[in-house]
Amino acid sequence: MITRRDLLKLGGFTLSVVLTPKGYSLLKAQEINKRHSPTLWINLSKDNFLTILVNKSEMGQGVYTGLAMLPAEELDFPWERVKVKPAPASWAYVDPKMGIQLTGGSTSVRNMYEILRLAGASMREMLLSSASKSLRIPRERLRTHMGYIIAEDKRYPYGDFAPLAMKEPVPPKPKLKEPKEFIYIGKSVPRVDVPEKVEGKALFGIDHFVDGMVYAVVERPPYFGSVPVKVDSSKAKGLPEVVDVFPISTGVAICGESLWACQKARERLRIEWSDNPVKGWEDKDFEDYFMKKLKEGGKVVKVKGSPQRVFEESHVKIEEIYIQPYLYHATMEPMNCLAWVKEDEVIIYAPTQSQTWAMETAKRITGMRENNIRIITPYLGGGFGRRANVEFVAEALEISKRLKKPVKLIYTREDDIKSGYFRPYSITQIKASADKEGRLNSLSFRIAVQPLMGGGASVEGIVNTPYIIPNLYVERVDIDLPVKVWFWRSVGSTHNAFSLETAIDRVAYQSKQDPGELRLKLLRENPVAYRVVESAMEKAGWGKGKNLGIAYHYSFGSHVCNIVEAYIEDKKIKVKRVISVIDIGPLVVHPDLVRSQVEGAIVMGLSMVLKEGVSFGKDGIKNTNLHEYGLLRMEETPEIEVYILTSKREMGGVGEPGLPPTAPALANALLWGYGIKINRLPIGV
Amino acid sequence: MLKNFELKINGNLYKVKAYENEPLLWVIRERLRLTGTKFGCGIGVCGACSLLVEGKVQRSCVFPAKEAVGKSIITIEGLPPNHPLKRAWIEVQTPQCGYCQPGQIMEAYALLLENPKPTREEVVKRLSYHICRCGTYNRILKAVERAVGGFRS
Repeated sequence: MITRRDLLKLGGFTLSVVLTPKGYSLLKAQEINKRHSPTLWINLSKDNFLTILVNKSEMGQGVYTGLAMLPAEELDFPWERVKVKPAPASWAYVDPKMGIQLTGGSTSVRNMYEILRLAGASMREMLLSSASKSLRIPRERLRTHMGYIIAEDKRYPYGDFAPLAMKEPVPPKPKLKEPKEFIYIGKSVPRVDVPEKVEGKALFGIDHFVDGMVYAVVERPPYFGSVPVKVDSSKAKGLPEVVDVFPISTGVAICGESLWACQKARERLRIEWSDNPVKGWEDKDFEDYFMKKLKEGGKVVKVKGSPQRVFEESHVKIEEIYIQPYLYHATMEPMNCLAWVKEDEVIIYAPTQSQTWAMETAKRITGMRENNIRIITPYLGGGFGRRANVEFVAEALEISKRLKKPVKLIYTREDDIKSGYFRPYSITQIKASADKEGRLNSLSFRIAVQPLMGGGASVEGIVNTPYIIPNLYVERVDIDLPVKVWFWRSVGSTHNAFSLETAIDRVAYQSKQDPGELRLKLLRENPVAYRVVESAMEKAGWGKGKNLGIAYHYSFGSHVCNIVEAYIEDKKIKVKRVISVIDIGPLVVHPDLVRSQVEGAIVMGLSMVLKEGVSFGKDGIKNTNLHEYGLLRMEETPEIEVYILTSKREMGGVGEPGLPPTAPALANALLWGYGIKINRLPIGV
Repeated sequence: MLKNFELKINGNLYKVKAYENEPLLWVIRERLRLTGTKFGCGIGVCGACSLLVEGKVQRSCVFPAKEAVGKSIITIEGLPPNHPLKRAWIEVQTPQCGYCQPGQIMEAYALLLENPKPTREEVVKRLSYHICRCGTYNRILKAVERAVGGFRS
């Protein structure tokens, strides 16, 4: 737990944000007691450095930069003197809107924006008050500029007043800057993490060491759900540096003084695995099973109007079945965790997206209380949702607890794939129709998929589509299989945007309508979405002879329209250019971070549609390593142009929304240019 | 099966005990704790572990440490901070998660040693041996272009 003493140890001027039943309030370090839960600290040191503890994981999205800008903005503080540190795992650092510490759902800036600005503004007011007293100059005659209090012709660094400012009361409602006064918000300040990442000095989870630690790898079952029933480690244990071999809850742990010793020992193991319901299932078996379940039907989620009757009576009808595979996250840094379960304390270096779930896991496995568990979040070498799952933390803890030593668990790439937590496989049936004028008049959507978030993810992007569809039917069939599934960047929208957006184009194709114009018609009552599509068409040179495909999707609070220019050359798909227009709401904190997130999401979306899919054979997953799981490379990457729009509404997210409309836009380009219908992914190249 | 090795990395001599056939990657990053060289796939297909041995780029995850004995090894830590590639990488704000970037920079460095003014196609071809899951490819290309003061046409 964070004690008052810990806060004071930082010295200087520390402000904490606390969540009370009435909402946020700000406290000085001295005022914190057990009843409060400070959600973040901002510290101004006497030598005028600002340290901001960020409660979100930096996994490439730039959150250390985006969040640190906000208090620095209000405080009027020089960017080069801002330092960012990851907040520890604690009830004290929960995201006030989520109630847990989790980086996901494209929410970081949305959830932390207001409170971080408020914290900076309060700090500034307290500094001004204390400076006024100490300099004996009326407050109105003081102003601030870039880390200095300016008094007539003199300037004093904020740090001079840091100890005094602590004595000032926290202003209940500090005045926030007007947009025209912004010095950082809306500007692309340099990322705080970039220099050390370029130097090779940034420390990821896998880069941590503790003296006396042992390495561990875990051999996993060929099929999800199997457990080891017999382990013969006699040939492995005699190797140099091999420490121990034993079964754990997810497989067999091999421990040694070096990673390589573990690998050598692994080769000499003989393991018999228990049977399980999907043993021997190949791709075709999954397909048959999902198809059978789809036909049997499931839960009706939404009905509006009379979709069935309208479909029967309509002139234009399409009926499609889509098959979309399990997808692997392929974070470049494989899962890993350094855990040390001591008698009275637990220390964990975990590259995780959820400190709270890591903490819960540590409490469960060690029986210790939060006060005695220290979780450090290093840089994450990619997240994409995968690292919100903390099974890798559980494994490291389990092994360390048994060995009574610090343990560095590393997943090899093979282990990382075999560990699963894939984007779920799905089969979707879509029926859609249009009236004589070509207006979409019915849509029936039925999906068979393993549910995430209680099933909400199965139908996201469909039940909340901004399209005007007078007759709508949405049904989900929950599949229960032992294949481990999880959130994958943009979650249910990855598969639902593909099926819905290609279905829209099939309707347009059959009724000989322009697919861009059709979307504008369907969005006529939503001016924000309408403008996104309209701008994308304009930027892409729609209707000017290029082979283009369009798709629009609303997810995580943002509207995105992607237009893909693609050709088939020498029997290969060549994606030439992608135009993306995103509307993220009222303002853009850091335009270059938005652009880089959308660029990355588009590359991931193209990778997914062209190359990615987990495939099963008789002996388990066929993609053993990255040579068998295709990922987009530089030579396949098109030019990407990102345009950001703003609109007066709630703030939208940035990390995920660029992805969903990418795959269908490419498929649509192939439909219009070449008459190719893509109903099964990946397309293959 | 453990052997003593002497490795010259970034101009410094390191003595280390390792398995006879242990890949250079694990010796460098786990035994010697020079962690800028990253583990990605272990089979030489992602490029994250790239470094230079005698001026040639190698995938250290499949390069036996014993073959590097007596040779000059350069890792990301050995490239000076003011190297034009590093500077360009920062100016373009290239990395996202950053995990693959040391490998990408080392590949570009090796390419420029052989070919100081490459064409765009030459750079794309070489860097297509590397995977960046965050999708920073266009920025990587832009950073190389900036570092060399424009591609040869």
